[in-house]
Amino acid sequence: MNTQFAFAGLNPFDDPLDRLLAEIALSIQLPPSLHDKAKGRYDAVRNYLERTVAFQDQIEHFYPQGSMAIDATISNRGTDDEYDLDVVSQLGGRFRSMEPLEILKALESALADYPVQRVRRQTRCVTLYYSDKMHLDVTPALRGYGKPDRESFITHAKGPVPSDDDRLVDMNAFGFVEWYHQMTPLEARMAAEFHRRWRDRDTLSFRAEAEVDDVPDQADFIVKNTATLALQLIKRLRNIVYAGYAGRIPPSVMLSFYAGKAAQPNSSLTAMVIRIAKWIIADIEKASLYGKKLHVANPVCEDDVFTDRWPESVDQQNEFAQHLRNMVKGLDQMRQGEMFPDEMMDWLRGNFGDRVVTRAAENIAGEVGSAIQKSQQLYTRRGGLVIPKPAIVTGVAAAPVSTATVAAARPHTFFGRKI
Amino acid sequence: MGSLLSIEEQIVAMKATWPMLLPRNVDHHLQSARWVGKVRAQHCWYTIDIRYRLGSMPEVRIISPTLVRLPDNVEGQLPHVYPPADDPTLCLFDPRTGEWNPAMALAQTTVPWTLDWLGCYELWLMTGKWTGGGRHANDPVPASMESVQ
Repeated sequence: MNTQFAFAGLNPFDDPLDRLLAEIALSIQLPPSLHDKAKGRYDAVRNYLERTVAFQDQIEHFYPQGSMAIDATISNRGTDDEYDLDVVSQLGGRFRSMEPLEILKALESALADYPVQRVRRQTRCVTLYYSDKMHLDVTPALRGYGKPDRESFITHAKGPVPSDDDRLVDMNAFGFVEWYHQMTPLEARMAAEFHRRWRDRDTLSFRAEAEVDDVPDQADFIVKNTATLALQLIKRLRNIVYAGYAGRIPPSVMLSFYAGKAAQPNSSLTAMVIRIAKWIIADIEKASLYGKKLHVANPVCEDDVFTDRWPESVDQQNEFAQHLRNMVKGLDQMRQGEMFPDEMMDWLRGNFGDRVVTRAAENIAGEVGSAIQKSQQLYTRRGGLVIPKPAIVTGVAAAPVSTATVAAARPHTFFGRKI
Repeated sequence: MGSLLSIEEQIVAMKATWPMLLPRNVDHHLQSARWVGKVRAQHCWYTIDIRYRLGSMPEVRIISPTLVRLPDNVEGQLPHVYPPADDPTLCLFDPRTGEWNPAMALAQTTVPWTLDWLGCYELWLMTGKWTGGGRHANDPVPASMESVQ
């Protein structure tokens, strides 16, 4: 049995709270137009580098890493519409005898005239800034001989002059991506529904109605499972609560590790967010109890330490745990129906950002209101209002409404007075 | 209009569809009853109170929690209700359109429409916009409705 196709997943748009969170995730998602551009940009950068004297025949592998490789890309810290993507350029040949700073400077120099707004050398990569607010980090790496395929060393050098802190850092981003995909199998129905809505959001990728039923390649689903959607929300929470913070913040790859560990197919989105958060909280509490800093390593490469630059102190990790506890408490209250909608909005805005939460609520209000005006809604025995989704989404058979319904809608006109 | 539904028939229909709404103050002589129970249309739980007497229109109140008002909202501080402001009843249909009559089961009309109202009310609290449509008594009557009156 191919377990990659064993799970349908729960449609996050069926449950009111999940739907709010899923709409927030939609709002922070890499838009289809940029997503479609990303792969072309990887190829273009590689081709450009290979045409330079310095990099000709020197690139062994060129592959996405980080959030793009696990479908978890969201807008970066401090923005609602700027995206950081990462690619690893595994180098061979003459680069193997060069110092980290030399390699970074060679890459910077080779890309200096690349047609983007700005090229900037960082401590571990060279960043290309595109005019459409995409930032592409190109990280040079050297294969570690005698080690598994793609386990490599990346350069670490602040510059502009060599220092004792310059070094090569062990990493296996490729192996981690494979591990992550194994831990978070495809939930086909969930992924198809999210994909359809994501595509529909981007007017640039508008397609004729007849094309909506086209079956996308499942590898192209923007998010393949609930765990990854939950990961995006936790990353967004981190971006918001640390928006005004100048130092290092909990790294995305560490959060991805916990999403992989905590993944549980066919969970609701809210439950999955809470589950990942509780997993992180528990590990931080355990480390803090012994006065230690949290240590998380790549599960396929123990020398690839995800927490090598964060946390810098026990207090720092405790602060993050407290943010997560607050999130869990708020979501639990909402899940139990104990928080009123106006309070919910204040809470969600404080944790996920004003603009995206407002947009999420307005999208839902528009869809629910429209369905009620057209008498398309159904009702559950407990009095739940259910808005059926379109019958067929992107070639995957739509799920029946998950909760049995007891009544169909009849047209009516809200009336009365303004008091 | 079909034949009027007796209060007994309304009680049977309500119990079959919404068992959590329990009948109270049933008066077979006056053909009246009251149903009280908890529902959760979208996010929060509400205790609703439906009062009905054959020959009059059903009245729906939200007993708890207290409905939140939005002062200065374009829809009024609480939209689509009948006064008084301190004891509002929901206005779920336009009485001039024939959307409801006593031959209809409350279980198939009043209750679902109350759930619609609650869903729209919560989204109104979230966005400040009432997206469920409808009109207020002092709004102009749509042309399509003039022939009904």
